[in-house]
Amino acid sequence: MDLALDRSRRSGKQVSTAQPHEPDEHVPGESAAAGRRSRFGRAGAAVRQAFAGGQRSWSTTPGRLSIIAVSLVAVILAAGVGASASVSGRAQATANLVDRQEPMAATVQEVYRALSDADATAAMAFLAAGDEPEELRVRYEDDIAVVGPSLALAGFDAVTGEEAAHQVSVVVRQVPVYSELVGTARANNRQGLPVGAAYLREASHLMRERVLPAVEELYRIQRERLVQAQSATTSVPFIAIGLLAVALVGLLRAQAHIRRLVKRRYNIGLVVATVALVVGLIWSAVALSVQGTLVTSGQRDGSGQVDVLVQTRIAALQARADELLALVARGDGEAYEDRFAELAEQIAGQDGTGGRLGELRDTASAQLSGPVEDAVASATGWLRTHETLRDLADGGDYNDAVELAVDTGSETGSGTAFARLDSSLAEAIQAGREEFVTSTVTGERALTGLVEGWLALAAVGAGGVVIGIRQRLREYR
Amino acid sequence: MRRPTVLIAVLGLLVAACGPVGQPRTLVPVEPAQRPMPANAGVTEQLPDEDDVPEEGAEQDCGDPAASLPPGGTDVPDGSTMDEIIERDRLIVGVDQNTHLFGFRDPTTGELEGFDIDIARELADALLGDPDKVQFTAVSVADRIPALTEGAVDVVVFMMTMNCERREHIDFSSVYYVAGQRVLVREDSDYSSLADLGGEPVCAPRGSTSSVNVDAADPRPELVEVDSISDCLVLLQQGQVEAISTDDTILAGMAEQDPTTEIVGEPISSEPYGIGIPKGNEDMVRYVNAFLEELREQRWSQLYATWLEPALGPAEPPEPTYR
Repeated sequence: MDLALDRSRRSGKQVSTAQPHEPDEHVPGESAAAGRRSRFGRAGAAVRQAFAGGQRSWSTTPGRLSIIAVSLVAVILAAGVGASASVSGRAQATANLVDRQEPMAATVQEVYRALSDADATAAMAFLAAGDEPEELRVRYEDDIAVVGPSLALAGFDAVTGEEAAHQVSVVVRQVPVYSELVGTARANNRQGLPVGAAYLREASHLMRERVLPAVEELYRIQRERLVQAQSATTSVPFIAIGLLAVALVGLLRAQAHIRRLVKRRYNIGLVVATVALVVGLIWSAVALSVQGTLVTSGQRDGSGQVDVLVQTRIAALQARADELLALVARGDGEAYEDRFAELAEQIAGQDGTGGRLGELRDTASAQLSGPVEDAVASATGWLRTHETLRDLADGGDYNDAVELAVDTGSETGSGTAFARLDSSLAEAIQAGREEFVTSTVTGERALTGLVEGWLALAAVGAGGVVIGIRQRLREYR
Repeated sequence: MRRPTVLIAVLGLLVAACGPVGQPRTLVPVEPAQRPMPANAGVTEQLPDEDDVPEEGAEQDCGDPAASLPPGGTDVPDGSTMDEIIERDRLIVGVDQNTHLFGFRDPTTGELEGFDIDIARELADALLGDPDKVQFTAVSVADRIPALTEGAVDVVVFMMTMNCERREHIDFSSVYYVAGQRVLVREDSDYSSLADLGGEPVCAPRGSTSSVNVDAADPRPELVEVDSISDCLVLLQQGQVEAISTDDTILAGMAEQDPTTEIVGEPISSEPYGIGIPKGNEDMVRYVNAFLEELREQRWSQLYATWLEPALGPAEPPEPTYR
């Protein structure tokens, strides 16, 4: 106790106001008030008196008790309200992760995916030419349709900064240009005019060089925001902890002071107040650490994994577009082939076991390991089919190569293999998002009742102080 | 009712008199649309000095690069190259699949067609008695010579200009077509030759002799270079260039795709096309030359009329030269 006393004497202002001085320690110059005994028994009146009388009543025991009571009540209420507010802030921030940040990141993700997919689908439909399957047409149109509403949302998002708004404007300006080029490519192709391929390559170039970098930047911004928001919900609430520490130290010192004064071991009111604060502290420590752990695991096994999965899926879609565009370019597609090789290495590493998929396989949680394993197997199959396809195309068997690339009906085609990879990645992303929501919402639930709990505990604590000290004051009537 | 209105108007005037009231705000500034460009398309200010660009065939002097071996008969001796092909019952031909009218794969049917393709079929017909006994292998421009030296194909019929540098690696038949660099412009434009296009953007494939010729033209047009020649037509259709200048054979394919364009100007170069044959297959060269003699006399005009005359106008078969 003495240690705590010394320490608290050295520290903050709030403590010094609650400091119980020894009776003979009175300050000279305040002698006018020195002999006067407090006439006020009721604590409420004590509060008034303390404020009105100020330092002058410190030299009398009842005055001192009143000041102690008032200070303790103030600190306990501040600590309780502060703790309640910081818990409420954390609960809201956690809910905000699920309601706003993650969905926003997912929205941009979806735009990124849809546009990469449009690039690949347009090339696939182009190769199919005369008998362009309806599902490809619909898929392309669906991809383009994703962009408008999603980016309108991102553009009008109140928290979107200037940088994000700029990226949004780049995308919304260029996507119509892109789809016009694809339309021109399609129309020429249908008439058997080779300039169609040049339009498609121009469209793809626009997509790759202007649109996708802007979406990628937008995704990076949203993703950073999500990560920041996640770490904000697990930060330590220093102010609330400080106030609580002050309140507890004050309570303990007040009890020591009163014990010396009246030789009674416990003051029930003050003990109740202390217990209330300690209960609150333990409850908070448990609830907040559970919440923090869950949010962190939602990040590690959920949104963090989703990020790698999304990057993998987009790399795969772009590689698929390159595979098809190399065929569209007909022997003039070396640049596309080079980029395919680069992306394939990103996806599966040099030997097909590393890269992003390898990383995912090593870190996947139980819920994700199934789809991730599927993705690894499909990627291996796809990359192997790609070799066959290139052998055919380079050997001059162009029609066979095209059939292998676009036929999604055959088991062995690269279209089928790719579709399998894409759907297992989609499945893994969905599982990752669910994992994130489950962990984060459970984390938020761990805080249930704590906001109201702190207010109630603070009320109990303040009440305890008032009752406890009023008992003592009564003895001076 | 009147008084309050007047009062409000007077008050409004008083407020306005207190200072400038500002302008209507523009929330989104109107910016001009950025025009799309093909990958790597751009204006080339000045080509490197001509001495640094090894002009194809310029270094080696082999006399007339179009001069081939005199034709042999159309008989096939035992053990000859032709005999092997007949044994196989299939002629393997390396062809282009990108150039409209010459060697092009119709995207809707997947079939190859064009002037070069028909010549290959004629050759198969002459050798094997069936124009369908031909196996086409699509090769890229860069793979034409390797396909022959590696023996992947029997012959290459692919708009191949005969020059001394290529003759180092492969043999050529006699000439079956002479192309020349001309200019493609929009029909409603006033340009009638490259000379009218000084300062105007003119498109040509990067690193080609066509772009060297555009660069050297006086007055000099603004040279826009692209990776793939078909990108030039996109730029012309989008109004980003005024003209395209390259071999008239390629321009013919473009004019055919876009009826609002036309080919103008006299040829500013001469590109004799020959059939590529692996080096040393002299029997094959003589056989193909005999075949071409016959072709030039009979089917050539028919093929020309089918594929090229609509865009290039009437023409006679080229005169072969022999060593």
